[in-house]
Amino acid sequence: MKTVIIACGAGIATSTLICDRVKHLLSENGIAADIIQCTVADIAGHAARADLIITSMKLENRYDKPIVTAISFLTGIGREQTEQEILGHLK
Amino acid sequence: MEAILQVFTYLSDLGSMVMIPIIIAIVGLCFRLSFLRAIRAGVTVGIGFVGLNLVLGIIWTYIGPITTIFVEKFHLQLTVIDAGWAAAAGVAFATKVGAVIIPFTLLVNVLMLISKQTRTVNIDIWNYWHFAFTGAVVMTVTSSMFYGLLAAAAHCIVALKMADLSAERVQKEIGIPGISVAQGYAISSVPVYMLLEKLYDKIPGLQNRKTDTSSIQAKLGVMGEPMMIGLVLGILIGIFVGYDLKKVLELGIAMGSLMLLLPRMVKVIMEGLVPISEGARSFMEKRFKGSEFYIGLDSAVTLGHPTTITVGILLIPITLVLAMILPLNSTLPLGDLAATAFFISMATPIHRGDFVRTLISGTIMMAIVLLFASYFAPIITDTAKNTGFTFPEGATQITALSAGNWVAFVISKLMSLQALGVAIIVVLVGALLAFSKKLVLSK
Repeated sequence: MKTVIIACGAGIATSTLICDRVKHLLSENGIAADIIQCTVADIAGHAARADLIITSMKLENRYDKPIVTAISFLTGIGREQTEQEILGHLK
Repeated sequence: MEAILQVFTYLSDLGSMVMIPIIIAIVGLCFRLSFLRAIRAGVTVGIGFVGLNLVLGIIWTYIGPITTIFVEKFHLQLTVIDAGWAAAAGVAFATKVGAVIIPFTLLVNVLMLISKQTRTVNIDIWNYWHFAFTGAVVMTVTSSMFYGLLAAAAHCIVALKMADLSAERVQKEIGIPGISVAQGYAISSVPVYMLLEKLYDKIPGLQNRKTDTSSIQAKLGVMGEPMMIGLVLGILIGIFVGYDLKKVLELGIAMGSLMLLLPRMVKVIMEGLVPISEGARSFMEKRFKGSEFYIGLDSAVTLGHPTTITVGILLIPITLVLAMILPLNSTLPLGDLAATAFFISMATPIHRGDFVRTLISGTIMMAIVLLFASYFAPIITDTAKNTGFTFPEGATQITALSAGNWVAFVISKLMSLQALGVAIIVVLVGALLAFSKKLVLSK
């Protein structure tokens, strides 16, 4: 079981969209994961038990965990690349 | 047009709990969702409204009474509660304008793109609530949905233009090519920050740009979590108004719950809108693709910048102090204190990451925002009441800092003049479109 943090500005809108995509991606690839949806300010509180952090913004990495910026899930440009990146971190 | 309005009048008499799900389902069908998925989307949104209504009760029960104490004991005229952006968005989406805001904004955007007046394809569906808000406020003031929709369109057009103007600077500072920020609040802050940037350039002490904030950030720790902000604030206010220990702790938990639960309820609304957002995005993607277009995103994409994070936290105490000393302010900042970073989302790129400039600009902006949020309080409260949210007898008025938008203010003031106001807005928007090419911010 992997733990994935998905964070955006308010932990509500953008992250819901990214969550939706990541859930599909993981189930298609048979990866079981616990997904934590939160705001960017909340990451620090969850980072210790996470395997991967996915955000809707470029973020300075202070957490010692891999971070994937998933803006391509919103814009549609370079989405496959981001998907491969996420799978790479979780396999 | 008349027939359509009649249908809407009938639907709106059903109350937002029933009306909005039906309209959202119809919108979903237009975006080719299957029948069941469309119904599901509508029902989810409706349930979000029910949840929002329930959580607003925390305000009346626990937080409203302290405003009375502020007035009676301290003569502080803080009579309005800032319920936060989630409440403002929920109320805006629950109105007649809000129900049709998604297809309507897309229509305005498509017309702007076809006529080559903008390069921004705004796919940030959730933040259409800002346009819906302006429309809803105008509808409350003029009692006309027609003027409401015109107001929403005006706000949307200004947003697209401001997104174009700031696009290159935002792309460079944030490091993501091909995007722009068209969020309805953020765009209202762009001209303010552009003016201030010009002013700072003339002030000798502000010439050296300081962009490294890691030392300040380390001292601030992780105090940014909304429910913790609510808890601490509740306890401090409880002590300030002289509550006993039990009531102090109670207020702390109540404010913490408001910060956590209100956005959760709005999340339900957003979840309902996900399939529609998907439909809208692929609709726009098919038609407007290529390097000549910017993809309009939420201002949240800029929030990861260290300057934004640091100044965002510093703005919490600054906003509280401003609220107490600012003449004409009647808003007790609360809900949106967890979202202060959003108010400077555009300041950081415009000031090229400079810490001091962003902090000064942020302070000025919060003062502006407090005043407009106070102005809008009675109108927002009326709008919420008209839309079917429950307000107990004599309940405190609500507002949201994120609704303290000067563009919404100007549009609503003009729209209250009705036909004359529309004429002035057409002239102003026309002038913006004509002159905007000269104003583009360099990288």
